[in-house]
This record gives sequence, C-alpha cells and structure tokens, in this order.
Amino acid sequence: MDFLTAILNGLSSGGTYAIIAIGYTMVYGIAKMLNFAHGDIIMVGGYAMFTTLLLVNQPIPALAVAIVFCVILGICVERFAYRPLRGSSPLAVLITAIGVSSLLQSLAQIVFGAAPKMPTRLQISGAWTFGELRIAYSTVVTLAVTVVVMSALTVFVKYTKPGRAMVAVSEDRGAAQLMGVNTNAIIAITFAIGSALAAVAAYLMLMKAPSLSNTLGAMPGIKAFTAAVIGGIGSIPGAMLGGILLGVIESVALSIPVLAPFTEAIEFAVLIVILLVKPAGLLGKTRREKV
Amino acid sequence: MNRILAFFKKPFVRNYANYLIVGVFTAVFGLLSATGLLKMGTQFLLEQISIAVLLAISLCMVVGFLGELSLGHAGFMCVGAFLGGKLAQALTASMGVAGSNLVVFVFSLLVGGLVAAAFGFMIGLPALRLRGDYLAIVTLAFGEIVRSVVMNLPATLFGGTLGLETPRFSRKYLFIFGFLMVLACLAVTQNLMRSKHGRAIISIKDNEIAARATGIDITKYKLFVFTISSFFAGVAGVLYSYSQSRVQSATFDYNYSIEILVMVVLGGMGSINGSMLAAALITFINVKLQTVLTGNLSVLQNVIYSLILILIVIYRNAPGLKGFREKYNMRTISEKIFKKKQTVAENADTGEEEANND
Amino acid sequence: MKKFLSIVLAVLMVAGCCAALSSCSKDSETIKIGLSGPLTGDAAVYGLGVANAAQMAVDEINEKGGLNGIKLELKAMDDVNDKSKVQNNYAELISWGMQISLGCVTTQPALEFKTLSKEDNVFFMTPSASADAVRAESNGYQMCFADAKQGVAAANYVNTLNLSKIGIFYQSDLDYSTGIRNEFKANLSTGITVVEASFTTQTASNFETQIAQLRECEFIFMPIYYTPAALFMTQAKAETGIKTYYGCDGFDGIESAKGFTISEIPQKITMLTHFNSAATEGAAKTFIDNYTAKYGADTLNQFGASAYDCVYAIFGALKKAVEEGKTVDASTSASDMCEILKAQLNGGYEYTGAVTGTGTVKWTAEGFVNKEALVHVIKEANS
Repeated sequence: MDFLTAILNGLSSGGTYAIIAIGYTMVYGIAKMLNFAHGDIIMVGGYAMFTTLLLVNQPIPALAVAIVFCVILGICVERFAYRPLRGSSPLAVLITAIGVSSLLQSLAQIVFGAAPKMPTRLQISGAWTFGELRIAYSTVVTLAVTVVVMSALTVFVKYTKPGRAMVAVSEDRGAAQLMGVNTNAIIAITFAIGSALAAVAAYLMLMKAPSLSNTLGAMPGIKAFTAAVIGGIGSIPGAMLGGILLGVIESVALSIPVLAPFTEAIEFAVLIVILLVKPAGLLGKTRREKV
Repeated sequence: MNRILAFFKKPFVRNYANYLIVGVFTAVFGLLSATGLLKMGTQFLLEQISIAVLLAISLCMVVGFLGELSLGHAGFMCVGAFLGGKLAQALTASMGVAGSNLVVFVFSLLVGGLVAAAFGFMIGLPALRLRGDYLAIVTLAFGEIVRSVVMNLPATLFGGTLGLETPRFSRKYLFIFGFLMVLACLAVTQNLMRSKHGRAIISIKDNEIAARATGIDITKYKLFVFTISSFFAGVAGVLYSYSQSRVQSATFDYNYSIEILVMVVLGGMGSINGSMLAAALITFINVKLQTVLTGNLSVLQNVIYSLILILIVIYRNAPGLKGFREKYNMRTISEKIFKKKQTVAENADTGEEEANND
Repeated sequence: MKKFLSIVLAVLMVAGCCAALSSCSKDSETIKIGLSGPLTGDAAVYGLGVANAAQMAVDEINEKGGLNGIKLELKAMDDVNDKSKVQNNYAELISWGMQISLGCVTTQPALEFKTLSKEDNVFFMTPSASADAVRAESNGYQMCFADAKQGVAAANYVNTLNLSKIGIFYQSDLDYSTGIRNEFKANLSTGITVVEASFTTQTASNFETQIAQLRECEFIFMPIYYTPAALFMTQAKAETGIKTYYGCDGFDGIESAKGFTISEIPQKITMLTHFNSAATEGAAKTFIDNYTAKYGADTLNQFGASAYDCVYAIFGALKKAVEEGKTVDASTSASDMCEILKAQLNGGYEYTGAVTGTGTVKWTAEGFVNKEALVHVIKEANS
C-alpha cells in the first residue's frame, strides 16, 4: 500500500514536471535552445500569484494574472535577450539564458526579500479515501490539467495554422521562412505558450506545497529538462511521459529510507540508461544525418 | 611600443607568447609572494584564477575544439578533488608530514587526475554515441550523480555532509603550482591542436560525417579528447582540495559546470588564449564583486554579473551588431590609443583569426 | 589577436602588481568586527537576520558611547552559504583591519573560517554555526548549542515521554540536520520504534511522499529549519494520525513565516531552543520589538538573536578586560584581541541579560556555550 501511495504521489509531482517539460520541449523544438531561464519563469509566476492574492484573495484571478504576467515576461525575454542572438552559436544563447535566470532570481530577492512566502490560500488539501488508499484532490487536479494541456497542445499543433507553422519552423527554419511563415512571430508564440505553462506549473506546485522563494523554479526546471530529454526532446507526448516517469521514480525512491538520500542520483542514472538504450529519448525521432 | 609589438609578431614568439606571459606572470607574483609582499586576498585570488584557467582550457578542448557540449565538468573535478584529497589526507596523516609536502602533493595531483581521466573514459565510451544536447544532459546527469553519491557515502570515507578534511598547501606557493599545471595543460593542448591529430579533431567539429568519410576514427578521437580534458579537470579538483581545508561535494553542482562553460564561451570557443583570459577575468570580476559589494548591497552581485554576462554575449555574438562590433572593438580602440596604423596584410591576418573566433 | 591578448595580459599583470602592493590604510578609530554569512541565495534569511541584528547591537553600543569612547564597526560579507567564497571574504576582512569576528553564520563556511582564523589567531564567536567541529579550535566559540548537545537533549526529553513509536523527518544533505539526528538516534531508548523520512535541498519543494511515510507516527521529531518544517505542517494539516511536532532551534521563526498561519495547524508544536521569537517578556521581547521596528519581521529569527548576543557578549568581555587594566582600542592587533578575549571567556566571564537562553551565559574551555535551553511549546493542539 505504501508503494501504491508513493506511485500516486509520483503521478502528482510528475504531472507538474510534465507541464514544465512540455514548455521546455516546445521552446527547444522551435528555437533550438536550452532555455535555462524557464524554471525561473515559474518562480516569477509564483510571485505574481502571491502579489495578486494580497489584493484579491482568490486563487483563480491570481492564476489568471500570473499567466498574463508570465506570457508578457516570456515574450520580453525572448525579444530582448534571445532574438538578438538568433543565427549565432546556440551556446551563446545558452549563456544568455543562464544570465537571465540568475538575473530573475536576484531581482526577485530584491523585490520580495529573502524569506520564503507561504501563499496557503492556494493550497488544496484533503483526499478521497478508499480503505487505506488515499487519493489527494491535488493529484487529480494535476493529472487532469496535464492531460487537458497535453491534448489541447497536440490539437493546436496538428490542426491550427500557427501550430502547423510551429512544426514547420522546428523542422527547418529557413524553409519555413521561404514558405512565408513569420518565424519571429511563431517563436514569440512558442515562448508565450511555454511561459503560460510555467505559470500553470507554479500554481500546481504551490497548490500542493505552498512555499515560495526565489529558487522555487531552479530545480524543477532542471528536472523538467531531464524529463523532456527522457521523453525525446521536441515531442509533446514524450515530455508528458518523461515527466510522469521522473515523478514516479522520484517518489518511489524517496519513500524507501535507504534510497532517499540518493534520489537525485537514481533519477539521473535512469536518464543515462534510457538515453543509452534509446539515444533520442523514449518518443523522440531519430533523424538520419545527411551530408 | 612599435618595437614591442614587432617582438610579439615574430613567429616563434607569436606561437609561444602565452607560455611566456603565464610564465612571467607566475614568476613575478611568485617572487612577490615568497618575499611576503603579496596580500592574502591576492594569493587566494591567484589560486582561484589558476584553477579556473585550468578548468577553462580543459573544457575548451571538448566544447571549443571537439564541438561537444559538456555540462558535467565539475563532476570530473569532484572526482579529482575527493580522491586526490582523500589520498593526500591519508598520506600526510600516515607519513606525518606537513600539508605542503611536495611529494604527496604531486602524487595526489597525478592520482586525482588519472582517476578523473578513467571516469572520463568510462563515461565517454557510451555517452559519446549521443549527439549535441543529449550528450550535454548525460554529462550533467553524471556530475549530479557523482555529487549526490559522494555526499551520501559513509562519513568515514568522504566526510558525508560535512565534507572531507584535506591538507591545505601553503597559500604562499600553491598558486605557483597552479600556474605550473596551467602551463602543462597549455603545452598538452596547444601541441595537440597544432598536430595532425588536432586538425582531425577540428574536422570532427566542423563536419562529423565528412570527417568520418575521410577515414578519421571519430570515436577514438572523441574519447581521447574527453579523457585528457577529464584528466586536467581532475588535476584542478586536487588543486582545489589543496586550496581549502575541506571539500564538500555540494560545491560541484551543475552551476559550477555552467560557470566553466561561460568562461569558454566568452573566451570565444576554440580559442585557448581567449578561454584563459575569460577565466581569469570572470574569476577576478566575481571576487571583486564579492569583496566590494558587502552587507545589504551583496544582492546586487548577481544582478551586475548577469547583466554583464548578457550584454557581453549579445555584443560579441549578435548578428545584428556585426557592423557595430567591427567599428568599436577592442582592437580598433587599442589601435587608436597606440596611434598605430596597421597594414592591409595584417588586417587580413587578424581578420581571419577573428572569423575563427566568431 | 594574440598581440592584443598579450597587451591586455601585460596591463592586467601591472595592474595586479600595483593592487597587490598597495598598502591598506588603517587609520579609522574603531574596533572592527567582521562577519561572513549568506546574504543572498537559499539561506539568505539566516544571514540577513545575523547581519541586521549584529548591526543593531553595534549601533546600540555606539549610541551609548562605545567601549569607553571607542566605537565598534561591523562589516558583513556575503558567502552565499558557499564555503569556497569564505577565503576571499576572510582576506578582505583582514585587509580591512578586522580585529574580532563573528565567524560565519552557517556551518560549512564556518569550518573554513576556523582554519583560516587559526593561522592568524583571530578570535571568533559564531552565532549559529552549530557543528561540533566548529568549536574544536582554541579560538572558536559558539553562541548556539552544538548539534550533538541538541541531539542528546532532545533524545533525553523524548525518552521521558513514554512513546513506543516516533517519526524522524530530516534533511539528508544538511550537516545541522544529520548531526542532530545521529546523536538523537544514538541516545534514544531502545524500546522506541523509529520511522524515518528524509529530503534533500533538491527535493524540498513537496513532501507528499514523506508525509505518507510518517502518517501513522503520533510524534514527529524534525531537526530541520523552519521553512521546510512549515511546509511539511501545511501539507500534513489533514493528517489526524500526527499529534505532535518536536523540533530544535531551527524551528524558531516558524510563527512568523510569511503566509503561514500557525493556528491552522491542528497539531501541537514544540521545540527545544534557546530563543523564542514570539517571546512576550524580558530581554527577548525588547530585542524583538527593536528588530521588527528597524528591519521588519521578515528576517527575525534565532540566528539574529544569537548574533545580537554575540556582539554584546564580546563587548562585555572587552569591557571587563579594560576594567582589569588591559588596553583595548582601535590599534590592538587581532591576535592580542584574541588572547584577551580567550582569557576572559575561559576565565569565567559571565554574560548576563542574554536574549537567547535564560539567565547567564558561560563558556567551557572548548568554546561550548553553557546556558539553559527551553522546551518551548509554540502552540497547543487544536481540540
């Protein structure tokens, strides 16, 4: 029964990783860059919610404000920090992303102070009990949100014009541009979607564990990156699968006292093994290289 | 001034100017330190610079020359720091010698480097099948695994959460050995890159398939570079353990790896001298920010550092700023200062180099 | 390119030489106290608490005329809880002219500081670096309880409660937490069954799994800091199986955690501590009022209270030394200062009016602090 509980908890944290990983994977697919600042957008979303809660003590408006704020922030970061570097080495963009990440963290400390905040108003506690098994409401909410987001995005990418343009840009940016796709706009949209998802992820995290500090997004960001790679970077269902898998592994490892201190090592070891067996991730496409 | 510039333009001097500069630098500061004229802060700063430069050159081999992204360099450093440090600790304790014992020091440096190289080989063997960002995440994962495992092994082995107590080398002289290691690393890297093997390595970076088609054993070269790079990371780790009274594995997290990567990228990727300079400057700036912005201002450290980082990267790399860059780069500014006109031939020469750096 | 690099390197070298040789001026007339702590990063709340409270104590002393007219001066430097930054801070403090130190706020950096300060014979009294290894030096003193002592005291207390099963929730990559936990477990009666759950810095954002493990423990011992503790309690609000939380001095400040409403937690919360940041009387109350008025309640915690005590204890010891005929002024070297202070502290100096602990504070020759701890009930269980 403990094992089952651990798996359920894993699904819950895995769902959050999945949401972040979907954002990661989309940005990577389109802009071909590791957006290390993605995790910090989550943190900004958390603070946006916290601030809104001070004015209107309601979670839903807070979430809405956070989404809007994160979308604007994401677009601005893309416009001023990443777009000037389009066409130069991907490593240069990686370094600016790192710079943006550390900038956001320090600014958050300057504005909100060092002490962690606890927006308990966002918390959803309570659970359904089936005998010894308990399913927390938050788990259900997380999984529902994850599934909805994943399906909506899959539909968006497959059946809408901007969605298909996204696929085109990720396949071959130059060719897409020649076909009349406004690549700058498409990349900006992708960043907007990714940042909106980051705000949602902030809500999912704070709903379960209401503790907010300026490093809130750093580790989930890395975990989500790992999840995106496990699932096959660039693939939306892959990101979901990777996120859930990672969450379950983490939770199971934590629930065994001897293994608990080694949780990170186990997660990353699983990643290495998966990549060695399937070098492009679980659902990633292996592309034949051409000369 | 002209004569000095002309001196630096002789082919022999040109090729070996960096050894000369590091050598003279070390000698001057070594003498100052030995005579007690050097402040403690400067000694620490020089230690940190030597370690950073060593790390930057060794990572430059993988990222700049081989063209593979590694985010686990601190992991190899961690291996070196803990195994070299453990060995040094055991030897100094059992032989009853001081922390500055040279034999133990050199032996630990070698062992730490070799063990790190062995790890590099073991990781490289399977991981180098992966491409680009997948390799990056595997190296990042390796670094995090090492960090986590070292911390959670029994405290008698590597000190657990408190970290491993290691001998401290006399701070008067440690940086000299640090720079000697930099020279050794420079010699290995520079000679390797100027040899036929070096050209093979660069061809892998430029086009792997074409390189394979010309009969270059890609796996062998990749492994080779990865192993050498890990060796020097391990050496840097042992130096680090000797520069501290304790090493703690939490130091070697992915942020550390990223910091080294930043040095290599800012140094112009594939330029050894650039990496060295960037490593020295970044370490210098960070330490200065840390010691100048104290108390309530310390929160500004990261703001300033990250702004500098973003602006430099955009300035150096943005395609849109190319014209601006050509007009206002350090070289033209320095030329204006020295009021010296360069000939067309020289321009073509340096222009070519800049193209390589970009 | 190379030519350019060489010029830059040459210029740098000359500049470096100049900087290295420039002598540091020491002509201000103050007694200089140095401190290194995490003013940014994850542990910033503790470092800021210490820096603010120490500054407050220094300001108060200076307002009252300082040490016979000589003012004190504090310099707080940031180490981000990263031990590799300590050397630079230490060197900077020394060249600034530091005569006395408050050491480091957190344990890891403090261990590095200890080695450095031993070489130069600099006195330090750390407010909060609690590992036993910190005081294992002749010139290192602690104002906080050492981890081992807290572990033993906590175990002794739990042994008196007649429990058959307890839970322990600790942070496996934090020396404070593992240090207390190890001593606690070693001193616990053998009849008590222990259920353990742990987390690391990287997994500190969600405790669902650990709560599931500890759900059936009535009594949970938590040798951790208040931030994760508050999160655990918030997440475990609905767990009726858990009746009591018991923490160490790291719990302090939990009532004032932003947004955390302690009355919503149904369980009883107790802790073993030397400072109660919700105190309503005595020296602690005055300190809390002054601190909150000056810096707000955000960073108020036992770290700061302890630092406040450190400054006053050092000041008191210096004053006593002066009364005994020693000369202490702005030109006293750090090493002389260290000997004077050590002679005082080892010679039975008693610090009264402490904010932390109750009554007088004394030190053993090894630098262990000797003061009364309180078992403090933060809140009773909601009925």
